[in-house]
Amino acid sequence: MSIPELLISEGFITPDDRERIENLSARTGQSFIKVALNFGYISRKNYERILTNADYKIEEVRTEAFDTEVLKKIDLRFADEQLALPLRIENGQVVTLMSDPSNQLFIDFVKFTYNYEPRIIIASDLDILWLSHKLLGESYVKSAVYELMNNDASSSAIVTFTTAQLIFIFVIIGIVAIGLVVSFKNTSIIINLIISSFFLVAIVFKLFLALVGSRFELHQAVTKEELRQVVDDEVPIYTILLPVYKEDKLIKKLIWNLQSIDYPREKLDIKLVIEEDDDKTLNAVRNLDFPAIFEVVIVPFHMPKTKPKACNYALHFAKGKYLTIYDAEDIPDTDQLKKVVALFHKLPENYICIQCALNYFNRNENFLTRMFTLEYSYWFDYMLPGLDTLDIPIPLGGTSNHFKLDQLVELGAWDPFNVTEDADLGVRAYAKGHKIAIVNSTTYEEANNEPFNWIRQRSRWIKGYMQTYLVHMRNPATLIKKIGWRGFLGFNFFIGATPVTFLVYPLLLAIFIMYLVFDLSGIRTLFPDWVLFMAIFNLMVGNILMIYVNMMAVFKRRFYELILFSIANPVYWLMHSIAAYLGLYELIVKPFYWQKTNHGISKVNNPVNVVK
Amino acid sequence: MKSRNVLFLIITAILAIYYVYCGIYLNNLGYSNAESLFYIEKAKIIFEGLGNRIKVMGLTSPILPFYGTFLFSSIDKGVLAPVIASGIGTALLFYVMARTLMQRTGFFYLILLVLLFLFHPGIMYIACSGKGIYLSLIFFFLFFLNILKFYRSNTTFHISIASICLVVLVFCDYKFIWLTLFFIPLILSIAIQSLNLSEKESIFRLFLSFNSPSLRRKLFSKTFALYIILFILPIASIVCYKLLNLTHANDLNYFLESPYATWNVLQDKLQYDQIATSGTSFLPSEISLLISIKALMFCPMILVAIYLFKDSTYQILTILTPFAFIEFLHIKYSEVFLNYEYYMIFIVLAYLCIMFKIHVVRRQGFIKFLLFALLIVQIFTGYYFLKNSNVLDEKNFFVALRDRKTDFSQQQNLDAAAALNSLPTNGKVLVDDAIAYPVVAYSIHTQQLTMPYQDEFAGALESPEKYVDYMLVATAKNQNTGYTQINNKYVDIIKLNNNHLRLRTMYQNDDWVIYQIVSR
Repeated sequence: MSIPELLISEGFITPDDRERIENLSARTGQSFIKVALNFGYISRKNYERILTNADYKIEEVRTEAFDTEVLKKIDLRFADEQLALPLRIENGQVVTLMSDPSNQLFIDFVKFTYNYEPRIIIASDLDILWLSHKLLGESYVKSAVYELMNNDASSSAIVTFTTAQLIFIFVIIGIVAIGLVVSFKNTSIIINLIISSFFLVAIVFKLFLALVGSRFELHQAVTKEELRQVVDDEVPIYTILLPVYKEDKLIKKLIWNLQSIDYPREKLDIKLVIEEDDDKTLNAVRNLDFPAIFEVVIVPFHMPKTKPKACNYALHFAKGKYLTIYDAEDIPDTDQLKKVVALFHKLPENYICIQCALNYFNRNENFLTRMFTLEYSYWFDYMLPGLDTLDIPIPLGGTSNHFKLDQLVELGAWDPFNVTEDADLGVRAYAKGHKIAIVNSTTYEEANNEPFNWIRQRSRWIKGYMQTYLVHMRNPATLIKKIGWRGFLGFNFFIGATPVTFLVYPLLLAIFIMYLVFDLSGIRTLFPDWVLFMAIFNLMVGNILMIYVNMMAVFKRRFYELILFSIANPVYWLMHSIAAYLGLYELIVKPFYWQKTNHGISKVNNPVNVVK
Repeated sequence: MKSRNVLFLIITAILAIYYVYCGIYLNNLGYSNAESLFYIEKAKIIFEGLGNRIKVMGLTSPILPFYGTFLFSSIDKGVLAPVIASGIGTALLFYVMARTLMQRTGFFYLILLVLLFLFHPGIMYIACSGKGIYLSLIFFFLFFLNILKFYRSNTTFHISIASICLVVLVFCDYKFIWLTLFFIPLILSIAIQSLNLSEKESIFRLFLSFNSPSLRRKLFSKTFALYIILFILPIASIVCYKLLNLTHANDLNYFLESPYATWNVLQDKLQYDQIATSGTSFLPSEISLLISIKALMFCPMILVAIYLFKDSTYQILTILTPFAFIEFLHIKYSEVFLNYEYYMIFIVLAYLCIMFKIHVVRRQGFIKFLLFALLIVQIFTGYYFLKNSNVLDEKNFFVALRDRKTDFSQQQNLDAAAALNSLPTNGKVLVDDAIAYPVVAYSIHTQQLTMPYQDEFAGALESPEKYVDYMLVATAKNQNTGYTQINNKYVDIIKLNNNHLRLRTMYQNDDWVIYQIVSR
């Protein structure tokens, strides 16, 4: 009895289901069992149970011997689609791992390719995938790592500081050092004035952006009426990448969130991207006692071990017209994909990406989550629309950015050496003449509720901003030519100024405290009154404006209860400063190191965000 | 749209030239006022003075009108900078109003606006006097414009911009901070209206929301958030500015209460003296409620505005706020007269409201006729109010405008300044610019003056013979003599303290004496 017949006889699928699975299998090229396991027809546990009941023995295969000559004759994609892998020739037979022993297509392939009968070892689909990607994925993973570097070296962050940048930095340091030796006081005054003025200008720019963005806060990029016109049968295949690392606790939540997405199931190409050494997550998927609706892609080991590398790898297997990325804990608005489809239809061709707003479901958990919510609210609800309106490069948010797949590939996809690959990609897209739009849809994430975890995450973001800035400022003249003066200034004040602001903030605060609180005479002898006046003015006004920007953030989402927390922004910024210095240190000593953020530590339940 | 913009710019430029010409003409006739002379003097200190100029630059109040003048001081080092600033600033007010107007109404209303800006004596006063009222009016207009837009759009953008305008307005004239008081009930009303309730009547909505814990919480949160977003910036700015005053002048209210920081102090005291010595002769026109009626008489067009918004509760309450505001000013600052500026805000507000609502009126012919008639009435009332103003600066302006004869009101100061200018340039002169700022404004050699902003002033006051060669002393006849340290009494005291001190009169007029310090 074949596996499909077995599934029907055991009552796990109906004949209609079988027909649907076969149709989908024919359309996608995936084997029957791959479709059944990845499109929510049967859970892995039940499948194992059926095989065991039918006297099949499921074996542990990860340590099985293999012959590279045998492996050379099969492509990873085919093995991945069929959930089967020939390993070696033994006793005139091809030792073949198969998830579905009745997969005649693969049996024929083995016979035809190797001229031997297969000796079938039945294994879990996850183990077969793990072994297939590990053994056959080298060229794919190399492409994921080096593709951008080979095709567009100037956009790759593999070189952190170019020679010209190093010369520039050391010349500046040299000038400052000479200045301090020749005239300590005057040089200190000049430095003080520059950093304090820069601080204020950067914040005024943020306020300006927030005001521009707030002007369109009621604008609906996609209206309900337009959404109603999206027909299920006509929507394209949509790839969702879910890069995870040791997120075993979140897998069940993830499935729940994905099942709530309002998009035809057979048009979804969801890929859970798991690192080779991440057994925790793989076992969590294995132990699910309900059907999964995603397929697993295993990323073979290769440095750097970063999310963009994992996404680039998964991109080789993506089938959609559009593609998006979610984190494991994300709860997107249920209508998000349809909204994006509708908006892509409306927008001109040069729009290749649509960014959704991000916000947090656990905002009221503690002080940190409240501050984080305020920050995300002004960032995604006001700043990014402000950048969009002014046609300034948008640094994409970590998740929920929806791409046109072919153009993403054309662009070189994500830079695996950049730890904020999303922000970098946004700027690169602008530099190549593409555009990014913002849609009125939100993805709710889990706000970091633990200070050290928060600092780790933020240090990576700030380091990534520094990397992105360095990459795109390798040749300022070219950048101006590509994105114009407005885009260039916006890029400098938004991407460049953000880390610098956090770095200079504690210095200004120290001067303020020394001057006002401790009334140190030393500082008065070093800086004349007018310099201190300006520095303190810039610090105070900067802080007030930043508090105000935070306050504005509560309105669109009606989080009125958070408004007073905005006052704590100067304290929150100190945490940013700690993270900025950590990020700067890492930029110098280990630029590609990915500070892992722990997810799933919130105690708040995350209800699905059903949009009515 | 582009051609309209060009038209506005041309009219604005013509108006600016017209105002600056008139202002210079009046200035040449001798017209000037305390505010503009004060700004000129402070600008001179910043450009030419020796000493703690940063304090003068940062704490001179109202700071924005001063900076407005300061900008033009680099063009004209004489006394014309305030006039140029107010002329161009008033033209800018026209531009801002005209742009808003043309987005919503037609050509007829632009003509009305042009007529207003050409012929209204109040506008002429603002434009040609060199005062900073133009800035207050610009930001008063923008503040209310954004508030009205907020009612329609309900976006954070408009309320934030309104808040920023309020900050600027407060730094143009501190008294506008009291306007916030009357927005408190208004915002509660906005919050109540924004709740998702089936009940339509405000009072019942209030009742419902107060009796349901969740609605009450929501109402409280939203009202509080709206207060914060509208008022936090002005309040924080004022707190910062006061702290700045504290750190640099050891007085939180230095910018409000020191005659070295603001021209208002002295003028208010003079007005207080005027009221105190005149018995009850000013009372009939300056009593509560009558102030509002006066405002209605001054600007009857505001009645049309109220009528147009008759069905909109917030808007009506918004229009009524300035009435409450001027009534409050009258009570709070009972010892001074209500300046012309506070009547002018009604003209600006009336135009704004009419721009907003005029398109809903069906009988356009009638309303146009009515508005034209009211404009003529307003020009007349503007003329009448200026003529009968109790404020000296306003009265002087009216006389200068009507008679176009030489104005001698600053003659004593001019003569004293001429005498100072004739002194040897290496001779130091002790001057207290609390009241002598007009003299300093007209003088040429600022560097030879020893004034309170300089560290050596205290020493010079104590022992003038050691620091200075001359001193400018207010005579007993000088009406401000009580508000300066260097007056005839001071002369007696230093003579008493130092028997060897000999003073020789170098120059004298009714208000000033310049002494040379003979013995050292």
